[in-house]
Amino acid sequence: MYGTQSKRDLALEFQSQIPILRPSIHARRANLTVKFQDLYGFTVEGNVDDVNVLNEVREKVRQQGRVWWALEASKGANWYLQPSISEGQSLKASLKLSAMANAITLKRLIRKGIPPVLRPKIWFSLSGAAKKKSTAPDSYYNDLTKAVEGKVTPATRQIDHDLPRTFPGHSWLDTPEGHATLRRVLVGYSFRDSDVGYCQGLNYVAALLLLVMKTEEDAFWMLAVLLENVLVSDCYTTNLSGCHVEQRVFKDLLAKKCPRIATHLEALEFDVSLVATEWFLCLFSKSLPSETTLRVWDVLFYEGAKVLFHVALAFFKMKEEELIHSHHVGDVINILQKTTHHLFDPDELLTVAFDKIGSMTTNTISKQRKKQEPAVMAELDQRLRRLNSLKLDDK
Amino acid sequence: MARTTGNKNIQAKLVLLGDMGTGKTSLVLRFVKGQFFDYQESTIGAAFFTQVLSLNEATIKFDIWDTAGQERYHSLAPMYYRGAAAAVVVYDITSMESFERAKKWVQELQRQGNPNLIMFLAANKADLEEKRKVGVEDGEQYAKENGLVFLETSAKTAQNVNELFYEIAKRLAKASPSRQTGMKLHSRSQESGRRLFCCSG
Repeated sequence: MYGTQSKRDLALEFQSQIPILRPSIHARRANLTVKFQDLYGFTVEGNVDDVNVLNEVREKVRQQGRVWWALEASKGANWYLQPSISEGQSLKASLKLSAMANAITLKRLIRKGIPPVLRPKIWFSLSGAAKKKSTAPDSYYNDLTKAVEGKVTPATRQIDHDLPRTFPGHSWLDTPEGHATLRRVLVGYSFRDSDVGYCQGLNYVAALLLLVMKTEEDAFWMLAVLLENVLVSDCYTTNLSGCHVEQRVFKDLLAKKCPRIATHLEALEFDVSLVATEWFLCLFSKSLPSETTLRVWDVLFYEGAKVLFHVALAFFKMKEEELIHSHHVGDVINILQKTTHHLFDPDELLTVAFDKIGSMTTNTISKQRKKQEPAVMAELDQRLRRLNSLKLDDK
Repeated sequence: MARTTGNKNIQAKLVLLGDMGTGKTSLVLRFVKGQFFDYQESTIGAAFFTQVLSLNEATIKFDIWDTAGQERYHSLAPMYYRGAAAAVVVYDITSMESFERAKKWVQELQRQGNPNLIMFLAANKADLEEKRKVGVEDGEQYAKENGLVFLETSAKTAQNVNELFYEIAKRLAKASPSRQTGMKLHSRSQESGRRLFCCSG
């Protein structure tokens, strides 16, 4: 086993050791900011209301756990891992009604949250990581990390630079062991896909995967499936073209789903990419509280990258009135930042993201991406040529 | 919005550019919050800050865009520097590579940015004298040749950090016409030249 096992135990300890937080009457009166550690070892600063919300969330997580256990009892352990369920596409082909019913149950269940203890197993299976891993030799990850040990590339230099800058102060990530583990995963991946190499942002994503998954090897495969299958391609490669495409699609969706806000922001000359780029590249890990981020990832790994649009649109939808009355770019950013940082209740977010935003199929979004691609490529190309001509002038 | 008598209110967009790990976020945090952390979270996309500086002649409200430094994030930069009134290009005195990157930023801004852009070159991490790779005179000389204002700074010790932003504020105050109040120094770049007005009144 890897050193991560002990870390995993630690993560579970967080949950059992942290007592229900009881803000003192003094704190309540003064509306003080309190600091505490959340389920995944992050230090959270919040007011008394936030603490209360977090306590409620803890209780809901427990209840949700009971629902999952009850289903395991009635449908059998690992019922959700049956291939006809985990591969949504083959649904139509499946004639078995029970399988279809299970798939519907599963989708609804996942939107309500996967219990933290089941996350490693369910993510690994439903995301396709297990399948990906099974197509490689058993020793793939070990061989990879051994083979790249001691090698120095631009990517490894940048990774080394970012290790202590990835969630600094976190009780496990910001330790020599945490740094070394995160390094192996990121360096390993930089060699697996040299087009991606290392892109800033992946440090946060990989760090959070490490906190959830049981072993660093599983975290590595989750990162691989995320970049190679779940997200749109080229999100993290040299000119972030995939990310540019997503941003354009997002702007269109905002105009469609929240037209009042879109019009207002345009009048303020506020480009939503100014804030949304970080959301999409870090998959909200830098903006949302940890359990809320992981709840988004629960759905992301089952339903795909369209989930990112649902969630990003929800931030705007939730603050529609406030946003429409903002007069300045700075106000818009402050509203959005305050909103995301205080979203301690994942259900509040996901209800808006799915019920209020309405359905968007992966198919429609793929079509929109296709539509945007040529424009993005042309823009990036034009920019590159301009920069190159700049270099020529220089000579 | 601008009700102060005899005093200008200027809203100005400021952007920080430079290689990763040169201390862009640290400079801004030192200026805005008076804080410094040895390990500052790496910035993705960009981070936004505001700060108000009051001078005798004007009150400057800064909208600060602190951008991500990794080279591939370069393709996002125009979104952040578009319409900026001032730019601070940052390099790390212990890294020659970061100085070379800084020069590229300067070139790009000269070509793409607002022609009236006020540009500063900040040689950061000046506290790490024993690891210095870029000489003071190198930075100075380059700045002089390119019409930039040059300062050696340290976000860690706060050396020249407030000076940097005060100096920018002064130049912005000087550059803005005195009869107008509440002027926005968000000038449009030529490429988006659909609108000709830059004053919000």
